[in-house]
Amino acid sequence: MLKVNDINAFYGDLQALWGISLQVDEGELVALIGPNGAGKTTTLKVITGLLKLATGSIEFLDNDISKATAHKIVEMGISQVPEGGRVFAGMSVLENLELGAFVPEARPFKDESLERVYKIFPRLEERQSQLAGTLSGGERQMLAIGRALMTKPKLLILDEPSFGLAPILVQQMFEMIEEINKQGVTVLLVEQNVRAACELAQRAYVIENGQIVGEGQGDDLLSFEAIRSAYLGEKG
Amino acid sequence: MKILRPISIVLIIIILAYLPQVIEKDSTINLLILVFLYISLASSWNILGGYTGQTSLGHAAFFGLGALAARMLWIQGFPILPSILAGGLLAVAFALLIGAPAFRLKGVYFVIGTLALAQILSVTVSNLFPTITSIPVEDLVAYQLAPRYYLFLGLACFIVGAAYLLANSRLGLGMMAVREEEDAAESLGISALRHKLLALGFSAFFTGLAGGAFAYYHVSYYYQMPFTPIWSLDMLTMVYIGGQGTILGPIVGAVFFVGLKEFLVRNLGEYHLIVFGVLFILVVLFLPGGIISVWNKIQNALARRSISNAVKLSPEEER
Amino acid sequence: MVEAVVQNLVFGILLGALYGLAAVGIAMVFGVTKLLNVAHGELLMFGGYASFWLFKLLDLDPFLSLPLTIIFLLLIGAVLYQLLFVRMVKMPEEEKIKNTMLVGFGLTLILSNTALLLWTADDRSITTSYSGAAFTILGIRFPYVRVAGLVISLICLFALQQFLRRTYTGKAIRATVEDWEAASAVGIDVHKVYLLSFLIGTALAGVAGAMVSVSFTIEPAMGMHWTLKSLIVMVLGGVGNFMGTFVGGILLGATESATAFFISGNYRQVVGLVLFLLILIFRPQGLFGAKGGKQ
Repeated sequence: MLKVNDINAFYGDLQALWGISLQVDEGELVALIGPNGAGKTTTLKVITGLLKLATGSIEFLDNDISKATAHKIVEMGISQVPEGGRVFAGMSVLENLELGAFVPEARPFKDESLERVYKIFPRLEERQSQLAGTLSGGERQMLAIGRALMTKPKLLILDEPSFGLAPILVQQMFEMIEEINKQGVTVLLVEQNVRAACELAQRAYVIENGQIVGEGQGDDLLSFEAIRSAYLGEKG
Repeated sequence: MKILRPISIVLIIIILAYLPQVIEKDSTINLLILVFLYISLASSWNILGGYTGQTSLGHAAFFGLGALAARMLWIQGFPILPSILAGGLLAVAFALLIGAPAFRLKGVYFVIGTLALAQILSVTVSNLFPTITSIPVEDLVAYQLAPRYYLFLGLACFIVGAAYLLANSRLGLGMMAVREEEDAAESLGISALRHKLLALGFSAFFTGLAGGAFAYYHVSYYYQMPFTPIWSLDMLTMVYIGGQGTILGPIVGAVFFVGLKEFLVRNLGEYHLIVFGVLFILVVLFLPGGIISVWNKIQNALARRSISNAVKLSPEEER
Repeated sequence: MVEAVVQNLVFGILLGALYGLAAVGIAMVFGVTKLLNVAHGELLMFGGYASFWLFKLLDLDPFLSLPLTIIFLLLIGAVLYQLLFVRMVKMPEEEKIKNTMLVGFGLTLILSNTALLLWTADDRSITTSYSGAAFTILGIRFPYVRVAGLVISLICLFALQQFLRRTYTGKAIRATVEDWEAASAVGIDVHKVYLLSFLIGTALAGVAGAMVSVSFTIEPAMGMHWTLKSLIVMVLGGVGNFMGTFVGGILLGATESATAFFISGNYRQVVGLVLFLLILIFRPQGLFGAKGGKQ
C-alpha cells in the first residue's frame, strides 16, 4: 500500500534522513520504532507532505505522492494523528470530529463515521459540546484519533499516541488501535514505547540517526540487536 | 591591499569637499546636500533598525525635534553648531523618555507603536506651532549654500564614521547579538534592554543632528514638516534597499533612493512614484539583503573562483 | 447642551461603525495569515472610488451597487494576494513582518498614486437624492446614509460570524488559525484558507470604502489614514474577537467626537493614537481579546 523508497530529506542544509525505505501492506499494523530524535517524526512529515524530500520517492496505492501537498495526501487516504494529538483547542469535540470529515471523499459519510467513532470512543460522545482544550490528555488523544478516523483513511499514521499518558490509558490506547486495525484500517505506528509497539505490530522497522537499522517481525524484534544498540548503546 | 580602503575613502571625501568650487549649478549642490542628508538619516536609522533589529517607524520624531530645537535657537540668534547640538540632545531626551515603554512592545506592535508615537508628536507640534518658520529677510541675504554643503558633508562623514566605530565595538556586537537571538544574548549576560536603549539613544541623537542641519538649510517650512511619517518610511526604505545591518548599505540605499527618484521624476514625471513602488517591491521580494547582498554575492563568487584557481584541486575535491 | 453632546456622540458612533468594519477587515487577514496588510486603507479607498464611479457613470445607487463593488475588490484582492502576499505567508516570523510591511508600503505608493493619476486629488462624494435627509428622534438627527452605513456594517459582521461559526469552510478557517499543521493533517488546503481570508478582508475594506464615499468624502491619499485607524481599532478591540473589534471602532469614533467637542478638533486624531499606545502597553490583548491570545 505504502512504499517509501530510499528517501533523503533535509531541514535547510542539515540532513535528517538518509536513504529511508519502508513498506506497509494493506491491513497490516506496522511499527516504526526508535529513540528520541531518531527521525521518526521527520519520516512521517515527509510521507504526509509537510516536509519535502530531496531524493527518493514515495508511492501510495501505486501513485507517486513524493510531490503531493499535505491536504492532497489526506484526500488520497493517508491520515495522520500528529504527535500530541494537536486537537483544535478552541473548538468543540463535535466540531473537531466534523472537521475530520472535511475532505470531499469523507464528507458524505460524516454521520456514519461519527457513529463509528463514538462506538470506539464513547467518552467523546459524552463530551461532544465541550471545548477540546478542556479535555484531559487521554481524551484529547482519543479525539485526535477519532478525528483522523473521520477522514475515512486507508492508512492511519499514529505519531507516539501513548506519549504523556498514564500507563492504564496507554494500555487502553493500544487496545483501541488494535481494534481499529482489525476493522480494516491499515496502521503505521510510530512509537518510543518499544515493548507495546512490538507486541502490537506484525512488523516493525527500527530507525536510528535518520537511518533504518533494522526490520523484522514484531515478537522477534524484541530481542533484536539493533533495538538494543539503538536504545542502550551496547552491542549484542 | 587593506590600506586601499581608507585611502579611497579619504580620496572620495576630498573630492566631495572640492566639488562646490567646481560645480556652478545650485541645483546640483542641492541634490548632493539631499544625498548627504539621506545618508545621515539612513545610517542613523540603521543603528537601531539594522544593527539592533528594532524596526522603528517613529524616527521622524527625532528628526523633527532636532529641527525644532535647532531652528528656534538659531532664529533667536544662537550660533548654529550649538543649536544643532541642542537639537540632537532634545531628540535623545525624547528617545530615552519613550524608550523603556516602547521596547515592551514586540514585533509588529513595536513598529506600529513607534509610528503612533511619532504621529502623536507630529499632530501636537502642528497644533502648537501651526505656522511656517522663515529665515528673517536680513539673514536671507547672507544665506550661502556652500557652508551648508560642508555641514551636511561633515555630518554624513561623522555619522557614518560613528556608525562604523559602533559596529566594530563591543557594544555593537552586543546589539547584533540582541538582533539575532535576544533570549540567547540575555542568557550570555547581554542586557537586551540596555543595548536597545543605547542603540536608540545613538540613533536618535544622530537623527536629531540631521534635523538640526535640516533647520539650518531650509529657508522656510512648516514646523510640522520634518515630523511627517514619510521621513520615517524613507529611512526604513533606504536601509532595506541598500542592505540593513551593514555600513555601506545605508549609503548605497540613500544614493540609490535619491538618485532613482531624481531620475524617475525627470523621465517619468507623474508616474515616478508608481514605478518607484514597483521597483521597491521587486527589491524586497527578490533581493532580501538589499543591494549590498548582490555586491557580496558577486564578491564571494569571485573569491571562490580565485581560491580554486590558486589551489589546484582534484575534480572530486572541488566543492 | 445635552442635545449637542448626544448629537455629537451619535455622529461619533456612526463614524465608528465604519472604523469597526474596516478594522474587522484587517483583523481577519492578520488573524488568519499573520500578515499585516498596511495597504488595507488603499483597498478601502478603491472601494470608495468603485462605488463613486458606479454612481457617477451608471447612475447606480451606492447601496444597491455594493455587490459590484465587492466583486471589484475581490478581483483586486485576488491579484494582489497571488502576486505578492502568497510569497510571504510561509516566511519565518521576523522576515514575514518586515517584508509584509515593506511590500505593503510599496503597494501604498503604487495604489495611491495610481488613484491620483486616474482620478485627480479632488475630494469626491456620492450625493444621492436622499443624502441630506435624516430622521429625528428626540431632537437628535440621524442621517439616513450614515445609519445605513451602521446597518450594513452590522449585517457584514453578523454574516461573517455566522460564516465562521456554522459553515464547513468557516470552521476550516478557524481550525487553520488554531493549528495550521493539524488543519493540513485533516485535509484542509491551508493556502486556500489564507487566500479566502485575504479576500474577505479585502471585501470588507471595499464595503467600508463604499460607505465612506456616500457618508463622507474620498480622495486618493486617504489610505494611510484609514489603515492607521484600522490598526488602532484592531489593537483596541483585540485580534480574534470580531465583535470586540467592531465595538472598539465604535468606541474610537465616539471618543474622537467627544475630544473634538470638549477639547479641540485639532486633537481629534491624537486621542486615538494615545489610546492605542496605552492599550498596547498595558493591555496588549485589547479590550476584549483573550489574555495570551495576541498575535
